Amino acid sequence: MKRKSCTSRMLWFTLAVVVGTVGLGFIPPFELWGMSFARVDMLSDLRADIAGEDVVVEYEADIERLEQELAAMDVEPAVDVIDTLPEPIPVRYDWIVQQEPEVKRRVLRSDEVAPTGNRRVVPIEDFDTLAVTRYERFIEKLANMEDVRIAFMGDSFVEGDILTSDLRSELQMLLGGRGVGFVACDIPFATVRKSVKRTSSGWTSYSVMKPKSTPEALRDKYFVSGYLAEGRSGATTRWASTDAFETLDSCSRARVLLYSRDTSRLLVEINDTLSREFEIAGDGHVREIYVEAPIDALRVKVLEGTVLCYGASLEGGRGITVDNFSVRSNNGHAIFGTGATINRQIDEMLGYDLVVLQYGLNIMQPGQRAFSRYRDQLRDMIAYAERCFPDAAILVLGVSDRWIKNEESGEYEPIGSVDALTSYQRAAADSTHVAFWSTSEAMASYGGMPQFVANGWAAKDYTHINFAGGRRVAESLSRALRASLAELLAEREAEAARLEQEARRREMEYQMLIDRNVDAATTLLDTLTVDENEK
Amino acid sequence: MEFLALDNGVLERIVSLLCFDAMSPLTLTTGFFLFAFLVFGVGYVALCRCVNLRNIYVVLFSLYFYYKLSGIYVLLLLAVALGDYLIGRRVARRRERGRGTRGWVALSVTINVAILAYFKATDFFVGVVNDLYGSGTLDWESVVVPAGVSFFVFQSIAYVVDISRGVISPLGRFTDYLFLLSFFPKMFLGPLVRAKDFISQIEARDVVVTREDFGRGITLIVGGLVKYAIIAKALGLLFVAPAFAGELGDGGLVALMAIYGFTLQIYCDFSGYSDIAVGVALIMGFRLPDNFDAPYKSATITEFWRRWHISLSSWLRDYLYISLGGNRKGRLRTYLNLFLTMLLGGLWHGVGMTFIAWGVLHGVALALHKVWLEVVPRAKRFGSEMKPLWRMVATTFTFNLVAFGWLLFTAEDMTQVGDMLHRIANNSSLAEMDALLSGSGVAMVLMVVGYAMHALPKSFSLGIQRVVTRLGFVGQLVIVVAVIWMVMQCNAMLAAESGVATGLPMYAAF
Repeated sequence: MKRKSCTSRMLWFTLAVVVGTVGLGFIPPFELWGMSFARVDMLSDLRADIAGEDVVVEYEADIERLEQELAAMDVEPAVDVIDTLPEPIPVRYDWIVQQEPEVKRRVLRSDEVAPTGNRRVVPIEDFDTLAVTRYERFIEKLANMEDVRIAFMGDSFVEGDILTSDLRSELQMLLGGRGVGFVACDIPFATVRKSVKRTSSGWTSYSVMKPKSTPEALRDKYFVSGYLAEGRSGATTRWASTDAFETLDSCSRARVLLYSRDTSRLLVEINDTLSREFEIAGDGHVREIYVEAPIDALRVKVLEGTVLCYGASLEGGRGITVDNFSVRSNNGHAIFGTGATINRQIDEMLGYDLVVLQYGLNIMQPGQRAFSRYRDQLRDMIAYAERCFPDAAILVLGVSDRWIKNEESGEYEPIGSVDALTSYQRAAADSTHVAFWSTSEAMASYGGMPQFVANGWAAKDYTHINFAGGRRVAESLSRALRASLAELLAEREAEAARLEQEARRREMEYQMLIDRNVDAATTLLDTLTVDENEK
Repeated sequence: MEFLALDNGVLERIVSLLCFDAMSPLTLTTGFFLFAFLVFGVGYVALCRCVNLRNIYVVLFSLYFYYKLSGIYVLLLLAVALGDYLIGRRVARRRERGRGTRGWVALSVTINVAILAYFKATDFFVGVVNDLYGSGTLDWESVVVPAGVSFFVFQSIAYVVDISRGVISPLGRFTDYLFLLSFFPKMFLGPLVRAKDFISQIEARDVVVTREDFGRGITLIVGGLVKYAIIAKALGLLFVAPAFAGELGDGGLVALMAIYGFTLQIYCDFSGYSDIAVGVALIMGFRLPDNFDAPYKSATITEFWRRWHISLSSWLRDYLYISLGGNRKGRLRTYLNLFLTMLLGGLWHGVGMTFIAWGVLHGVALALHKVWLEVVPRAKRFGSEMKPLWRMVATTFTFNLVAFGWLLFTAEDMTQVGDMLHRIANNSSLAEMDALLSGSGVAMVLMVVGYAMHALPKSFSLGIQRVVTRLGFVGQLVIVVAVIWMVMQCNAMLAAESGVATGLPMYAAF
């Protein structure tokens, strides 16, 4: 018998399989028997993703780990007794060019905030069980005209500041405040936002949706904004306000959020004229550069070292700030991929009062009626958000209306799972005691998706609304908020009126009492006088 | 050619791909493995005729493979290998001199079991303590179980015990032992390998791969891919998981089909991956033991355990059941030993009520079958000894016993078990058939195909092997590339359908 070693066959065969499978990439996408076949790409791991839609990641919620991480934050580092305490490393670097003018608080009246017109108000459903619910506390802050910050987290539905820009503008006109809020430093793909102009260069940016292409050391550094920009000497970004909305041009303060593990130097420039250098001592805490000045444009440039920049917030005056955190094709689970410590630290700096969770558009399948797994995930998302933003109320937005094309008739018809998903989302809000608002109901009050498409408020895919459509949804949401606010103010006014009436009644009674006593005294005096006269 | 164009960040990405990444561990079914295997092949073929260099080369690649799979735990693998290699030598020397080896064997077993217990049970006990005494009593980060830890620990125990029993003599070289323990095709999910079967292959001067071997290897890989990456994955994501989560309604028929679906899924998942491992080893010139032999054809529960995860059940028999005394200590002890073996086997899968219940079910069933064999004189141990009709009845019974056993195995808790059984008993109607066929048609077809494949006689699969062998290089290449293409299409469709990227084999958790 011929003993032939043929391990070389293994090598040639493997080589041929590699060549063959790579060659499969030549087969273009095609459809057969109603199934669509994608192009296969063996080299995808070596390629940077451009479109960003092809990689599906699924984060798992790990609330326990989150708790541990947050608990570790609260522990003060042990300091040995030494003669001179080391200089504490600053978390915030201030640059006050011109102080903001003090804004006088005024008292809001219920009639000026109450929603006008006769369109139906889709109410916000508050499932909280506290005596004063977190949502009521948020409304109280609005009523007192305090500084209020809203984090609006969503998917491509609100990308480009759709909906949020109108919500921001409405609330700022009503309750004060200026500026576009948080804007990321640099993101891995091109977007347009008409509420702000951003030009950036020299950064390497990462997305929380692509943990595989994010370096290991940076994976726990994500903020809920979902994007990180890593820059070395020369990386620069300029944010400039626009006048697309009345309250956006010229802000009076800016905050740059960054992370610098090792010491670095940055240049901050305002309005392309004034500039100042900051030396950021190396530390594992998120840092903030706080600028107070009349600002039209803000520029940040890395001079030395490596800096992770989250973005900048342009704001001003006392009132409302709305941050748009849209992450494309995120079903919400990407929050589990963000760093709990980072979220909490930034929350301590910015102070969020309301967190809006707008997700679910991408998970619907035609005719699907059960979403229990998504409901459970949503509960975890809520729990995660609650722990990262402990002082904020949470508002879950129901999924928006969506229609799909019937392949046979060519007509669009309801996807058939909007109501089901909405009720699962409501159930998640109910069981976690947070607030809920049904987006699809709001859209229905304008006639639903067909009407949106007919009016040019939504794309022809019957899925994504555009700016005009966003304005309607924002209007509806702001009407819901205004209704809550008006209700609270009306209660206050009624209470004030009742107190005033009470006071008036008391005064009258008192007066009557005095009058009666004076009468009595006069009579007595008269009697005495008469007596004396008689003597 | 556009898709071949890579931009200039490609080097960085290659480097990051080569490093351990917890989010994408290396398994035999990843694209990365294909490329890595090609690179590995160059050196392997070159060193093929120098035994020592070849073995060291394979060991180095295996260690890298394990590093890509489990990161830093490659050090644990090295430590276990070194410890048991040294203990093995010591045990052999004491044996030669006629002195006791019990203490050293006990030491090795204790260390190995302690490692296993730490990784398997810590989370459970920390959870229990924190439930009892308030959360935070024990401040313990949840333990990440290194992939395949129980497989190399079991093999290491077997090695030391075999030496003390005089079955084998210890290996001369540490690298040879490391080879035995870490050989990459079987690293992740077995099959478990015994030193006495494998040593001669490691030390063989020449690696021989006949055309028949190669053909058989390719058949196993292709069949394994179809079972593991298509049937099991699609069935799980499209039907079994949603049905268990209650997303397909609360009908009894759905629950029953979900149980049968899972029964097929776990078989295809596990045996498919095992087949790929055996096939990859075979085209390299190494023969690993078969791990599955059409287990659902078993007519008795005893037969089932001779056909399911054979390398583990024979390990349990040789090193647990026999060590407990086997059948040498009287009838009662035999039953007790069987029961204990299966209970521990159940516990090995995870510490929890459902796994204990699963172990108890199989333990009791095995013991009862032993009793039955002794009480009923005409009872048979295996289906092949039975008459056809009786065999059919017995096979159906055994299949259902096993299937409902899997319900215990996969359920989240006992409430879900009760719920599913309640649904089957009280809420079944034929009306669900329509919904099942229209809503989960693809999954139903997969189930039929899967069970049909399983039902084919052994001669049929041998025939296929012969055909594939005769196809030659080009024919085999076309089949392999076509199946890879199908797997990738299936992955893409599943990702689009369920929004979930396909993950690791189910048994990776154990």
